[in-house]
Amino acid sequence: MSAADLSRIQGALAPWLTGSRLASDTRLDMETPAENLLAAVTAFRGLAWGYLSAITGLDGLGPAAGPSASEAAPGGAPAQGSASQHGTLGSIEVLYQFCQGPCLATLRVRVPRDRAEVPSISGAVPSAVLFERELSEMLGVHVTGLPGGKRQFLPDDWPPNVFPLRKDFLVESAAPVADSAPSVGSGEAPGTFIVPIGPQHPALKEPGHFEFAVDGEIITGASIRLGYVHRGIEKAAEDRSWVQGLYLVERICGICSHIHATAYALGVEALAGMTIPPRGQAIRTLLCELERIHSHLLWLGVAAHEAGFDTLFMFSWRDRETVMDLLEQLTGNRVNYAANLIGGVKYEIDAPAADAIRRGMDYLEGRARHYLKIVTTDESFLRRTRGVGTISREMSERFGTVGPTARASGVPTDLRAAAPYAAYGQFPVTPVVDQRCDQEARFVVRVRELSECFRVVREILDRLPPGDLSIPAPRKVAEGEAVSRVEAPRGELFYYLRSTGGVKPDRVKVRTPSLCNWAAVVNVVIGQKLADVPVILAGIDPCFSCNDRSLTLRRRGKTGAGGVETWSWEDLRTYGIRWYGGGRS
Amino acid sequence: MRKEGLMAATVHGLPAAFRRALEAVALWSRVNSPWLVHFNSGSCNGCDIEILATLAPRWDLERFGAKLWGSPRHADVLVCTGPVTRLARERLVRVYEQMPAPKFVVAVGSCGITGGAFHGCYNIVGDIGDVVPVDVYVPGCPPRPEAIIDGVIQLLTRLRPPKARRHAAKAAAPGGAA
Repeated sequence: MSAADLSRIQGALAPWLTGSRLASDTRLDMETPAENLLAAVTAFRGLAWGYLSAITGLDGLGPAAGPSASEAAPGGAPAQGSASQHGTLGSIEVLYQFCQGPCLATLRVRVPRDRAEVPSISGAVPSAVLFERELSEMLGVHVTGLPGGKRQFLPDDWPPNVFPLRKDFLVESAAPVADSAPSVGSGEAPGTFIVPIGPQHPALKEPGHFEFAVDGEIITGASIRLGYVHRGIEKAAEDRSWVQGLYLVERICGICSHIHATAYALGVEALAGMTIPPRGQAIRTLLCELERIHSHLLWLGVAAHEAGFDTLFMFSWRDRETVMDLLEQLTGNRVNYAANLIGGVKYEIDAPAADAIRRGMDYLEGRARHYLKIVTTDESFLRRTRGVGTISREMSERFGTVGPTARASGVPTDLRAAAPYAAYGQFPVTPVVDQRCDQEARFVVRVRELSECFRVVREILDRLPPGDLSIPAPRKVAEGEAVSRVEAPRGELFYYLRSTGGVKPDRVKVRTPSLCNWAAVVNVVIGQKLADVPVILAGIDPCFSCNDRSLTLRRRGKTGAGGVETWSWEDLRTYGIRWYGGGRS
Repeated sequence: MRKEGLMAATVHGLPAAFRRALEAVALWSRVNSPWLVHFNSGSCNGCDIEILATLAPRWDLERFGAKLWGSPRHADVLVCTGPVTRLARERLVRVYEQMPAPKFVVAVGSCGITGGAFHGCYNIVGDIGDVVPVDVYVPGCPPRPEAIIDGVIQLLTRLRPPKARRHAAKAAAPGGAA
């Protein structure tokens, strides 16, 4: 996992490349024309190196912007240089970013703006589907051979051929179009029953829309529609200053707000070539771990609630208040702490605060032991979790799952250990891995990770480096690009930042962990019981409840002359009366 | 918003005094046991987890008789978070329309008031008040659980008949009689 690996890749892919460059020990930059892309990616997969971390699309490489591309390692100085000399007005660049440990290998494809077209790589890399769909919807790059033509992120009434991440996009051009076909609704075979779930569900966070084709209790097909909370943050970030962006990305997710701000800040600091004082980095790391504790306890409660174990829900949420109090004491807010600055952190940890944190950790340590006992021994709970929703290691790697979901499938992936950022170099973390691959493993992994968090928090408090919290940040950030990868509570969080030397970012690309986990989950529910769906979906943490079943029952064939037939409640009632009252006999 | 609910239709034709008594009972039960339905129309989850925290043991909104319920068809109060995205708009209206009258909306968080940090984004149609009528706004990013409780209690206080309202205000005042 080093420069040697990267040169091996460079050599193996050479026949398809038009240019390549080792930017540093951990960064490889390659260029390939669109027609060679699939062959290059297939050869790449043949090397069995790394996984596809993100697909980033860039627009607006005009002559003013300049074609210079420099890579920067998080925490290190950006290495100047240029691999792509022919930046022309009217081209879109697509970056296929593969990672392993701290190494990043980027395949760049440049396509003309008016005929933006790349082949789909989902045949070689199954996890690429959602990334490619995002690319085609947001940037208007036509991905040939991409399965499924339905919208995933933008609303149904979004006009065709308007792409929000293009630089010449105007909000006015996105006015709703009439008579748009709804993108929900599945293409299942005639005669199947579809149970739609979402987007409104009672206890939980992100609205998504799922449709499950069922045969009795057993699920035979699943589809997903995202985009209910799509707000257009990547575009908004291009319109805000570097500092404003920090507070915007914090609001991508209220649960893991600090880690988003951390990833963004690390990226900007790398671009600007700043060296952050060790104390600032340590406190940043400490807050990351406190946030992970709150997020895991939150998940534990919600996932238990989905399994019908409300007692555990209430207990874990009661205990979660311990860490919420600590966060509030340190930063003044319970959620969205705004602790990060570009250049360090805002908040100091003094002796009384450190003692309060230690007391909190002691209390939670005991509780975590108790929870571990519950999730591994409670007989009725185990019936909902053991052997349910099994994602094998092979499947997990194929679909590119991340975070605790992957670790519960035996994949030892944890960026805190594999590519230490912030202060994880001084305070190492051991990844918690479980080989059982089922829902129980996901509970065990997260609860055991809590203990690891407590240990790291104590260690940071014991060895908190002296010195300043932050250094001043420049208003303008040097030209270049940076990739920043951090381990969010739910898995690898990927940020790509590009600066043209101004007061605003040129591009902010965010790839959140949940996007990687959907593909595996949509596949794993097939063959499972409908009643297990909430538990399985909750397992990857975009928690979810089944309580809302606003039954729009669709049935094909029979009466509807082959078309889709939507039954009203009255139809359902009549059908029910007929079914139970003699109609059957 | 329709003033008369299902109850009014059922008791139609009964003597006026009896009807008044029934409506008083309905109001009493509504104020003492409001059922909430939660909808996220584009929020960052910050408000949503605080709403859940409000229902968890530390704050325990349920001591006021409130209950978070999954189906809008059984709910009295819609607790809504976030700015309204283009895709969620139709669902928000649908959830609101599925609720039986009389129904009330509590918008939680700064985004629900003005769009907050997402004001002006291309996929945002506006704040919650642009889409459904809002009775109580709870500001904050996110509001603390105490603030959310205060929002719900303000709504319930307003629903009470005037005499009971005065009594409740006195009890809530510092040093007021219980």
